[in-house]
Order: sequence, then structure tokens, then C-alpha cells
Amino acid sequence: MTATDQKPQIEFIDVDKHYGSFHALKAINLAIPKGQFVALVGPSGCGKSTLLRTLAGLEKITSGTLNIAGERVNDIPPRKRDLAMVFQSYALYPHMNVRDNLTYALRLKGVSKAERARKADEVAAVIGLDNLLDRKPRELSGGQRQRVAMGRAIIREPKAFLFDEPLSNLDASLRVRMRKEIRALHDRIGSTSVYVTHDQIEAMTMADHVVVMQAGVIEQQGAPLTLYEKPVNRFVAGFIGSPAMNFVPATVDDTGQTIRLDLKGQPTIAIARRFPPGTHVVAGLRPEHVDIGDPDAAGYAPIKISAVEATGSATYLFSDDDPELIIVAAGGHSARAGDTVGFKIAPDRVHLFDPKTGITLGD
Amino acid sequence: MSALNENRKNAVLFTIALVIAAIYLFPLYWMYVTSLKTNSSIFAVPPEFLPGAPQWQTYALIWNESDILRYLKNSIFIATGVTLVTVIVGAGAAYVLARYRSIWIDIALFTILMLQVLPPSLMVTPIFVAFTSLGILEYPRIGTILAISAKTMPFFVILCRAAFMSIPRELEEAALVDGNSRAGAFVMIVLPLARNGILVAALLIFMQGFGEYVYSASLIADNRLQPASIGMTNYLQPNVVTWNAIMAFAATYVTPILAAFVLLQRKIVSGLTSGALK
Repeated sequence: MTATDQKPQIEFIDVDKHYGSFHALKAINLAIPKGQFVALVGPSGCGKSTLLRTLAGLEKITSGTLNIAGERVNDIPPRKRDLAMVFQSYALYPHMNVRDNLTYALRLKGVSKAERARKADEVAAVIGLDNLLDRKPRELSGGQRQRVAMGRAIIREPKAFLFDEPLSNLDASLRVRMRKEIRALHDRIGSTSVYVTHDQIEAMTMADHVVVMQAGVIEQQGAPLTLYEKPVNRFVAGFIGSPAMNFVPATVDDTGQTIRLDLKGQPTIAIARRFPPGTHVVAGLRPEHVDIGDPDAAGYAPIKISAVEATGSATYLFSDDDPELIIVAAGGHSARAGDTVGFKIAPDRVHLFDPKTGITLGD
Repeated sequence: MSALNENRKNAVLFTIALVIAAIYLFPLYWMYVTSLKTNSSIFAVPPEFLPGAPQWQTYALIWNESDILRYLKNSIFIATGVTLVTVIVGAGAAYVLARYRSIWIDIALFTILMLQVLPPSLMVTPIFVAFTSLGILEYPRIGTILAISAKTMPFFVILCRAAFMSIPRELEEAALVDGNSRAGAFVMIVLPLARNGILVAALLIFMQGFGEYVYSASLIADNRLQPASIGMTNYLQPNVVTWNAIMAFAATYVTPILAAFVLLQRKIVSGLTSGALK
């Protein structure tokens, strides 16, 4: 590896963005190595799209430094950043046919007409649009438009690909397929990709590195499974994983090694670490980590079921409690609404959070 | 039952529309009819709704006797000038007003609308004084073009702004990322997409410039430079008013414009509503 390969392809250093009095991005630090697929994920308004737009140059950063391929680009206009972007609405030029849409960037670069036609054919074959090159965008289906938008990006061979929720206008099955195609394309081209989405499943399944944002702040970043297994706070814990983690207020027992959940019947569960007795905590229980068994068996705490949703592959049980617990049981589980079942969770799978700050306790 | 009611309602509304259209179009009809009447039948009681013997020679008369061709050339010159100034300045202004949001933009928009409120008859005196001292009245038709443009600008800017606002911003952003400059994206992406709206607005501005009276009458003293709207009034003499000649002149003056309007009517309507449809 040469020295330039080790330098991050994209680097945000203490980046802030203000819109008037609104603080959209707060002290963002993010380094993206070459070839990595990074997902920016968070609820709407968390600043993920703003971050992407500052990277593209469509928004100016208020302070901090933004480097692309080792070059400071704070004041470089979008056209000189050599990035390709796929927009949520696809933003295909309505007055141009597919071929002209694909080759628009090349035309601006002054690439010859013959070379542009060759490239367009090449890319059309890659994205499977060979016979649609002469159509106008309005004559294409949603999925085809999405492909043109992708093609328009890959024809450029840019320094990085930026995706702004590119799949959110597609139906569910097509979305799952495109997810794999985009990732496969990324691997084949060996490009650097930054992908904005509000869908944590998309982020988890596609990315090498997931960045969870909230209110203009990066809450946590890391490999998908790291975020799932070791969330740094309650927000990340609740955002990553589906169905979302259950949060139950609890108090540490006298032994310091068990906690009493603030649910009906005050069930007690073991935890992996020792805390001062009487400490108030919030327990985080992932629905898929809870075991269901006989309520009278040793180690199981009883819980009353208020509703059951069977999807075939899994059965979702909802407890008659406040807060309601969601438990994922095996598909074909026989529990019915009104039953009382026993539940158990391994001590090392109980997440504990500070009730005030939401920060993960322990470790 | 409700379909029947719906039909009846439509019939009533259609009748009302016809009556209103008839009232509005009657003067136009009267202009054409009068131009073909003899002097005596013009004032016949009861009025003749169709001329008994069409006097086509009135048209030959005004072509031969008046300088209608020169007047029409001046009208076209002024209308073209007004359209060019309005479109070139107005399209840029409308784009800025469509794309930037701030209190200053709102103030600018309000000021532009204010211009629309001021009547030409009020504005003409200060304009006359200013143009005289600036020496612009050495070229009275240019002065008139500038004065009319100031009046047509707000209308054009408002129409054009709506056309620009209907174009998604992301298209421009895609062009910027694709390697275009802001100006390049405006010319290559925004303008082609707003073309219909701009053309329609330009056509309406041309018609306004073609029919303009107040500024032309006040700023152009030389008879040879006056447009047809002024030339027509030459037939209004203190003792004799040759109504049929005036009407023939007027008919010659407005028919090409009317024809263009009728032919392009569908495009004009779709251009005006393109913002709403998208």
C-alpha cells in the first residue's frame, strides 16, 4: 500500500454548519477510507442529508475542514469536486433522453461524441438499460429511472459516490434487490460510497461502516454489528435493530447483580456486572434475545401476552404491560393473547442505560 | 341523478360563459362590421348588425392613403424591443427571485409588484422629464421601449418566476455535481425546461407592447416614428370622423395579433398553468 492509499478519501474535521440560528451539523469528525461503503443513518432532520450535501458542495460548511482525496475542498464548487450523486428524486433531466442523461457529465468534460456513445452503451449494459437509451425519463418506470440515475453516476468514474436515499421511492421487493445490486456495483468498481438513508436495515445490510446521527451530532459510528452489539447510548440502541429494543426502567437489587424490572409482578433478571444496590437504570432488552418458556420453570419470569402477530418466519408477542414488551419467538409459536408465558434473557445480553443521560452503563 | 344535476349545472355555467364572452367580444365584432359599412349605415337606426353591402374599398383606401405600413413597422419595432428588454432582464430577475429566499427577496418582489400598480398616465410625466434630461428622448422609440418595459416587467417576472419555481431544484443540483457552473446549469437545464412558460409570457408582453398607447403618445413627437396605436387617431379630426376608416385601420392592426393568439391559444393556456400541473 502506498501512503496515499492510507489517507482517507473523505475527511470531515470538526465540521459545523449553521443555517442562521439553526445548528444543523455539530463538530462532525468522520474519516472514510478509499473503497469503503459508509451509510449515514438517522431520523429525518438529523443532519445526514445536510452532511452529504456539504460533501457534494451544495451547501457550504460554516467552520471546520473538509478534505477529499487529501485536498481541502471547503471553497471548491461542486463541479470541481469530482463526485457523483444519486438523488432521492433521481433528478433526471426531463428534456434529455437516457443517453444524454447518462453522458451529460462527460459532455461537460469535453469528451468526444463517439467516446460518449461508447461509454453510454457500456454503462447501459452494466445497468441493464440497453434498449431504453432513446427514451425520455417520463417514459420509464420508477425502477428504470433509478437505474439511469445510477448509470449517470458510474459513467463518471468519480472520486466517490454519494447516495441520497436512492431507494426510498421504490416498492419493497425492488428495494431489496437494488440494495444488493448497489453493493455489488460498489464492490466491482472499488469505489468509495457515502449512502444516506433513514432505513437502518439498508444501512446495516449495505455498509462497511455505519454512522448514526441525531440532531446534527454523530452519536456513534462503526461496523454494523458493533453498533448492534455495543451501542454507546439508548438512542443508537433503539435505532439499530428491528423490531426496536425494549426499554424498561429498573432498579438494581440488594445483591447488586440482579435488577428488578418496573413491570407487572416486578420480575427480576440477572445482569453481567455489579452495580451499587438501589441504582436506577433503564434496561434494554432486544426482542430477539428474549427466550420464551414455561412461566413456572426455574429462571423464567412470568409475563402476560396481550397480542400475537405471526409472520410465519417469526412470531411477535406483545406483553400486557407499560412499557409494552415486544418479544420475537420462533415462527409457529403457540402462544395466544391472554396466555401467561415465562421469559428469560442471558445476563450478557442485557443492555443498561443511565436513565437521565441515556449513556450505556458498564464496560 | 347526480349525473343529471351535474349536466344541468354544466349547461347553466356554459350558457353564462357564452353570454359573458359575447359581451366581451361584441366590440371586436362591431369593429369588423363597422369597417365594412358605409358612413350612412354606421349611424342607421336601428343599427345594422350585418353590413348590407360590404365596403371592402375602405381597406384599400387606408392602405393607399395612410401610412399604415410605417405605423405598423414602428409598432413592431417597439413591441420587439419591449419584448427583448423584458425577457432578457426579466428572466434573470425572475430566476433570482425564484431561487433565493430572504427578506430582501420579499422586499424586491413587493417593489416589483408596486411598479405594476402605478398607472402609466401618472408615470409618464416624471419619465418624460427624466428622459429629456438624460438625452434619451433623442431616440424617442428607444425611450418608449424602456418606459413600456418598466411597465411590462412585473407581469413578466411574476409569470416567469412561477415557471422557474416549478422546476425542481434537484435538477440544477444534479447539473452542478455533474460538472456544470451555476450559470451553465441555468442555461442548459433551467431555461429549456422553463421555455414554454417564458415563450408564452414573452408573447403576452409582445401584445402589450404592440398595443401600447400612453407612453408612445407622450414620448414620440415625430409622426414618422409613431406606432399604429397613435396613427389610428389621425382619423379623429375635429370636424370629420371617418369611423369606417378608423375601424378598418384598427382591424388591420389587431387581426394578425388576434390570429396568433387564437392559433397559439392552447399553448398559451398550458404555458400559463404549467407551474400548477408540473
